[in-house]
Amino acid sequence: MATATREDAGGNLAELLARCAAGDRAAFRSVYDLQSARLYGIALRLTRQPALAADAVHDAFLQVWQRSSRFDPARGQPEAWLAGLLRYRAIDLLRKRGREDYGFEPAEEVDREPGPLDQLASSEQAEALRRCLEELDENQRRVVLLAFVDGLSHSELATSLKSPLGTVKSWVRRALIGLRRCLES
Amino acid sequence: MSATATDPGEEANLLAAEYVLGTLCAAERATLEREAATDPAMRSMIAWWEARLAPLAGLAPATTPPASLWPRIQASAWGVAAPPMRLLAPAADATPRVLGFWRATTAVGFALAAAIAGIAVYRPAPPLAPPPLVTALVPLNQQTPVFLASVADDGSAVVRPLTGVTVPLDRDLELWLLKDGASAPTPLGLLPASGAHLAVGTLSGHGPGKILVSLEPRGGSKTGLPTGPVLYGGGI
Repeated sequence: MATATREDAGGNLAELLARCAAGDRAAFRSVYDLQSARLYGIALRLTRQPALAADAVHDAFLQVWQRSSRFDPARGQPEAWLAGLLRYRAIDLLRKRGREDYGFEPAEEVDREPGPLDQLASSEQAEALRRCLEELDENQRRVVLLAFVDGLSHSELATSLKSPLGTVKSWVRRALIGLRRCLES
Repeated sequence: MSATATDPGEEANLLAAEYVLGTLCAAERATLEREAATDPAMRSMIAWWEARLAPLAGLAPATTPPASLWPRIQASAWGVAAPPMRLLAPAADATPRVLGFWRATTAVGFALAAAIAGIAVYRPAPPLAPPPLVTALVPLNQQTPVFLASVADDGSAVVRPLTGVTVPLDRDLELWLLKDGASAPTPLGLLPASGAHLAVGTLSGHGPGKILVSLEPRGGSKTGLPTGPVLYGGGI
């Protein structure tokens, strides 16, 4: 899906979700067509396991169908709402089933410099977040990205960054305190 | 959104942030979700963090999902027949072809043709792979099956209702696998009253056990274990 059409789809998507709430199957299919690649990409990055990612997207879309009435346009963007549903489902599946079952090895998989920040969209919110992330020290920035984008838990962060659990937990907390202070200002 | 909302304490706010970030373990996540369900302040802290961190989701490259995903979602959401399994494929393919000959005949002939087509098609087709394992899901202490689960040898399964099943509006049915010797079942997903399709591999590698169906709050159990009564069950 081209980024340009996704921008236009924001309002359209909210309308489609409203139609899903009214039981419109064609609208549901349109939501799938517009959003499945983006959501599957997020799930794949979080879980690193196609079967688990597909399960998460399946469950998230089922929730969209069954609970689409809960999307409130006044409270946020439909894309963020969908990504939220998907992320929580993927993380729940990850934490319940564990990565070990899928032969996941965080230490090898995760070897990333915090460069990808450049790829953040150029919305006002993304700009603010980028600026605030850049104010963090490197370890703090890295744990935020690895947790949010790659779905690593505290203990997985400790393993993949070869650091004690307590240290990693305090990086996370200091990062969050720093982000909140910066994002609130 | 609610940047200047109530500030009920550093710890609660950081927990909300860690929930959104995704670093909490399953038990901590479940605890926080219960708290958020009754505490608007917690909900607004979560919403604040969700809105602020949302742009990070854009860092994952979009990837086309497997073609099998939409039919599976459709089957779960609407109970539409999932991609035909071996058990069902011959009837769907062959019946219309044979019926062409009978199209001009009477309604009686039409019905007869369907019956003949069924026989003619099924008899010469030898099963190339082990047939799906079929098990009836029956209410506890009763004999009349309510759902039929067909488990294929690739570990996928189709669960279909045999009778009208009604579920209260604020409840969902949820499927579980209880392996023999296991102390707790593992969740297999929601079971719409119209049936469900379980993905390839869901049931492979599991020895003998039971498929259970429990009555759960809407959206299914939040704890990973059945929280409502187990209504139906069957052995596999």
